[in-house]
Amino acid sequence: MKLTSDLNSSLMRTKNIFTVCLLLLGVVLNSNSQDLLEILDNEQKSEIGYVPATFKMTRIAFGHSTETRSKGVLEVFAANRFWNTPEPRSQSFAADKLSTRIALEYGISDRLSMGIGGTTFDGLFDGYLKYSLFNQQGGDDPFPFNITLFQGGSYNSSGIPNPAINDDFNDRLSFTSQILISRRVSSNFSVQVAPTYVHKSLGLTTEDPNNFFAMGFGARYKLGLHVAVVSEYYATFNPIESFNTYGPFALGVNWELSDVQLQFMLTNAVNMVEDTFITQTRNNFNFKNPNLNFGFNATYVIHFNNALRNTKKRTDSK
Amino acid sequence: MIKQFFALLLIATSMIPDTNEKIIARQGRVSFFSYTTVENIQADNNQVLSIIDMEDGSIAVSMLMNAFVFEKALMKGHFNESYVESDLYPKGVFEGKIIDFDPNQQGEQIKMIEGIFTMHGVPNELSIKTKIENNNGKYVLTGTFETLVADYDIKIPALLSENISDRIEVNFRFEFQPYEN
Repeated sequence: MKLTSDLNSSLMRTKNIFTVCLLLLGVVLNSNSQDLLEILDNEQKSEIGYVPATFKMTRIAFGHSTETRSKGVLEVFAANRFWNTPEPRSQSFAADKLSTRIALEYGISDRLSMGIGGTTFDGLFDGYLKYSLFNQQGGDDPFPFNITLFQGGSYNSSGIPNPAINDDFNDRLSFTSQILISRRVSSNFSVQVAPTYVHKSLGLTTEDPNNFFAMGFGARYKLGLHVAVVSEYYATFNPIESFNTYGPFALGVNWELSDVQLQFMLTNAVNMVEDTFITQTRNNFNFKNPNLNFGFNATYVIHFNNALRNTKKRTDSK
Repeated sequence: MIKQFFALLLIATSMIPDTNEKIIARQGRVSFFSYTTVENIQADNNQVLSIIDMEDGSIAVSMLMNAFVFEKALMKGHFNESYVESDLYPKGVFEGKIIDFDPNQQGEQIKMIEGIFTMHGVPNELSIKTKIENNNGKYVLTGTFETLVADYDIKIPALLSENISDRIEVNFRFEFQPYEN
């Protein structure tokens, strides 16, 4: 009898221990799926810190943003400015004056972009190279800014009215160098500053400088997933002396959808090439004619590079 | 005494498997497709992580949304900025369980995985059929399922409703190896 009761009690004890065991196991299992995700988090940690595009488009309003296009991306770019002459009774359809810049912009690599274009109103032919030096990122190797170098040049093809000026090809060239620095402050708000140097080979008069220093300011605020409000301003520190100039200012809306990007803006800058609108904007920003320009830029994006096919090739060849 | 020893042994053995019996896939593939008459969109992510606890069949998957590669560079930009908002929700995460998973069965077995997939900050219950191949302890999970864009609070602009399907096909393939701490 004693033996069986002993056996019974030890059986009971085993049962108790067994239930405790099961409980413990249950706790372990319950916390398991959390553990699994934690393990994956540890595996992945080093890669987080991705910051999406700061401006999305290569321009904020009229000036360049830090964005460059990816390799093999061609943008067909048409920029238009519409404005009215001061005549009170002009009978033009829609607007008195129109200027259009048509350009092709291409991503040579993911960091280097180039573009060539021509403008109807001021007869400027221009080209640029843009190199993305640093990208804003978080994570283990954080960098707070996007930094892009911009070098543009233009050729003035229009007739120079002053016969005293003996110009040759070199005199008609202008150059713009910019360091574009931007930051995506929050998911909705991005800012940019742009220290700028402009060299114009031919001054309008001898008293005007050939070299200009300017600072650009730009910002974007995202209203929705596809729409943003943008604003841009350039201040020139040593402006032209022979006539009054004002800083170009723009207030606009950028809208992008699929392969099309549209920009609408109100601005006082008639010209569309950097060296000219930064140094030679003759009107201040107000609602009088001909100071107010309505700007409309349309970009169509064509991809020559199938990123998916490239990754397939890469993984296949492995 | 023997029985107490047996009980201790039971405790000890019940504690051990937890640390060892896990398998991990570090280069899992997840692709998704949107088929419409206007445009087919495909995106691949070859760096998806997954881990399975062999003890109870629980599974976790974690993917970086910005690691999806699209045919067009611009699509990737739009996807990350205007659709899944990768800066706010960088990861897609699945937590679930393979129902009636038998780790010891060789060859193929078809099982259901039930769990919750969280993307764009929105959790969603999923029930996925998967084919599990066990080749001497090398496990490969493959499968296909469909999910709705609207389930994850992702909005497609009316202008693009012809270009982007509201029903997305997802394919996955994970090759597992033993996980060592």
